[in-house]
Amino acid sequence: MQFVSQKRRRSIAVGAALALTLGLGACASADEEAGADGGPVTLTLWDTDARTARTERLNKLIEMFEAEHPDIRIEYVGLPTDSYMEKIETAIATGTTPDLLTPKASDLSALVAQKALAPLDDRMAADGFDESMSASMIQSAKSAAADGVLYLTPSSALTDVIWYRPDLADAAGLGAPKTWDDFYEAAEKLTQKDTGQFGYTIRGGTGYWSQFAGMVLPQAGVGAYFNEDGTSVFRNPEVVAAAKDYAGLYKTTTAQSDLTADFKVMVAQFAAGSTAMLSHSIGSYPDHVAALGEDKVASVVAFPADNGVRVQSSLVLGFAMFEKSQHPEESWEFLKFMMEEEGNSYWARESGYIPGNNAVATEAWVADSQPIAVSQQAMAESATVPLEHPYYLPEFTAITTTDSLPKWQMALQGDLSVEEFCAELAEAFEASREAFEARTTN
Amino acid sequence: MSHSTVTGPPPVRPTRTPRTPYLLVGPALVLVAVFLVYPVGNVIYSAFQQQNVLTPWDDGFVGLANFRQILDDPVFWKSLAFTGKWVVTEVSLQLVFGVALALIVNEQFRGRGLARAMVFAPWAVAGILTTTIWMLIFNPTTGITRYLADMGVVDYGTSLLSSSTGAFWAAVIAEMWKGIPFFAIMILADLQSVPGELYEAAHVDGAGRARRFWSITLPHIKNGLVVATLLRAIWEFNNVDLLLTLTGGGPAGSTTTLPLYVAQTALKTKEFGYGSALTVVAFAILTVACVVYMKLTKMGEDQS
Repeated sequence: MQFVSQKRRRSIAVGAALALTLGLGACASADEEAGADGGPVTLTLWDTDARTARTERLNKLIEMFEAEHPDIRIEYVGLPTDSYMEKIETAIATGTTPDLLTPKASDLSALVAQKALAPLDDRMAADGFDESMSASMIQSAKSAAADGVLYLTPSSALTDVIWYRPDLADAAGLGAPKTWDDFYEAAEKLTQKDTGQFGYTIRGGTGYWSQFAGMVLPQAGVGAYFNEDGTSVFRNPEVVAAAKDYAGLYKTTTAQSDLTADFKVMVAQFAAGSTAMLSHSIGSYPDHVAALGEDKVASVVAFPADNGVRVQSSLVLGFAMFEKSQHPEESWEFLKFMMEEEGNSYWARESGYIPGNNAVATEAWVADSQPIAVSQQAMAESATVPLEHPYYLPEFTAITTTDSLPKWQMALQGDLSVEEFCAELAEAFEASREAFEARTTN
Repeated sequence: MSHSTVTGPPPVRPTRTPRTPYLLVGPALVLVAVFLVYPVGNVIYSAFQQQNVLTPWDDGFVGLANFRQILDDPVFWKSLAFTGKWVVTEVSLQLVFGVALALIVNEQFRGRGLARAMVFAPWAVAGILTTTIWMLIFNPTTGITRYLADMGVVDYGTSLLSSSTGAFWAAVIAEMWKGIPFFAIMILADLQSVPGELYEAAHVDGAGRARRFWSITLPHIKNGLVVATLLRAIWEFNNVDLLLTLTGGGPAGSTTTLPLYVAQTALKTKEFGYGSALTVVAFAILTVACVVYMKLTKMGEDQS
């Protein structure tokens, strides 16, 4: 047996290390230089709501974009809707963020605090999108960030509605609910526990906040989280009363299992016919139609409160680019495509969203879509005000998810009074706002 | 006895230098440093920091503030109490059923191979699949309660997962399904090492089944029981996957273990400093519990 000499071994080790280093270096440079020699640039898009139908729509959209931009390729990566922020934050911490993202306005506070997203104001103005896109959606997207800067293309929006089964309502001698009293009456009359049909499904589990705030604050006629004196509206008697009414639906007109119901469970129950009404955004319309057919599903918006005000909750959804993208110009091209008529029309129409492009908003399909039509009619009323969620507060997500969800479930079970639950919410929001103002005024 | 004839030049032996031992253990030391020392050190360092990616302007050294906060945190105490209840319940039930199953499949009977395969199969199922199976069983629309409601036994729209007591037992059952095979495998391996002559001698002396179990079987499997119980207790203490996916720690925080609270604190509310402090405390509790358990069971001591 021939032993390899020490000098020889050292040479092999050095050679291997060099090969490894050069190999890794080649990988990095290949990625960075893509496109410099005329080859296509590859952008990575992280989708924050990977569902089969949505993924198909996004891939179709990517095909349309790539057909018009042969020098750019988009690599789609779908992330689960309930845990995408963990993945994104890991990427931010390790400097491995992709180029593009599909955030919601409610995600901006966390991303902006970490300086992860690229500001879009100048690009929007330079390319005329300030004029061609919905002014209210632009404003809504800006106000979601603590610094008032636009990080999210106002491509589309979702409004919250109450979905109901017109066939079941007709069979019970009820029409479409027009007032809060109608709603509570319908929830009661459509409940037949002995056959497994419930009048309403309350979201007691993950993501409960959007339903809770989207029902309670409109019923109280309150469009903000804070009163003029800075106190939280969750101390207001009308808000507490509305919260008691809403929580009172649990187990009287809902299933016991709703204590842990999340989005998927709610939609599945509605599709299976075991519940007659649910609160959710217009974005679930394609799911309802696929399960029940167009004639067995309809929506109404939140009703005017006793003070005459109709409060409408909505959420801007769009696309954003990461600050550390190696290809900002190409990334902006994709964002532009999502705001221009072709891309915006396809995306909003197929997804059931309200389009952000003003020209697309006048297309026939928008008026023909029942949920979008009722939402837009309501928004056009002078007595309607938008529900302003304070997404800019850094603690907003913590307060409305991990901190308050267990308390909400305790309140539903009767282990905590609704008054105490609202008081704890008020305290948390007031503390968060106080800290925010102390920081921003100094 | 013959000697082989060596032909050709003698082999060149590598030169042993004072650095050779260090070079040999170097890779192992690097691995331990990268994958153990650094992460643990980083958690201990972070435990004394305010670290929240949502409020980076407040980040910095806070001394023992995180640990003081733990003492006043009702969720910590509640999750710690639940962790104790969870570990004791799970390990006890898994131990009893695991030993029983091991004794059964250790007997000679027709179809023993198939029975063993069925007993051990749940252990091979991935954690997330275990959860999915049991979530379907507990689903109010498609699961067992739907069929019970059709028979008039329970109300429609009910689920074990939607009450604090029900969620605990639902999680216990799901985890037992996966955990019992572990005990059964460990104990069966020990049982097979018990010499058959001992049983024969005891039988001749008139010892019954119970007597043979207490006097022969149990002493032989004692060390296996201690190791399996200790390992399982550590795993159940650190259980996150099943509870996170099955109950999410709820409802109303009723099934939140300490590690699950750590995960929620660090991953959901982004309080990495406070989450690290909770981790350090959990680590200390687990270490003390393990040492006490090993002392009580005299594990590792000479049996003679």
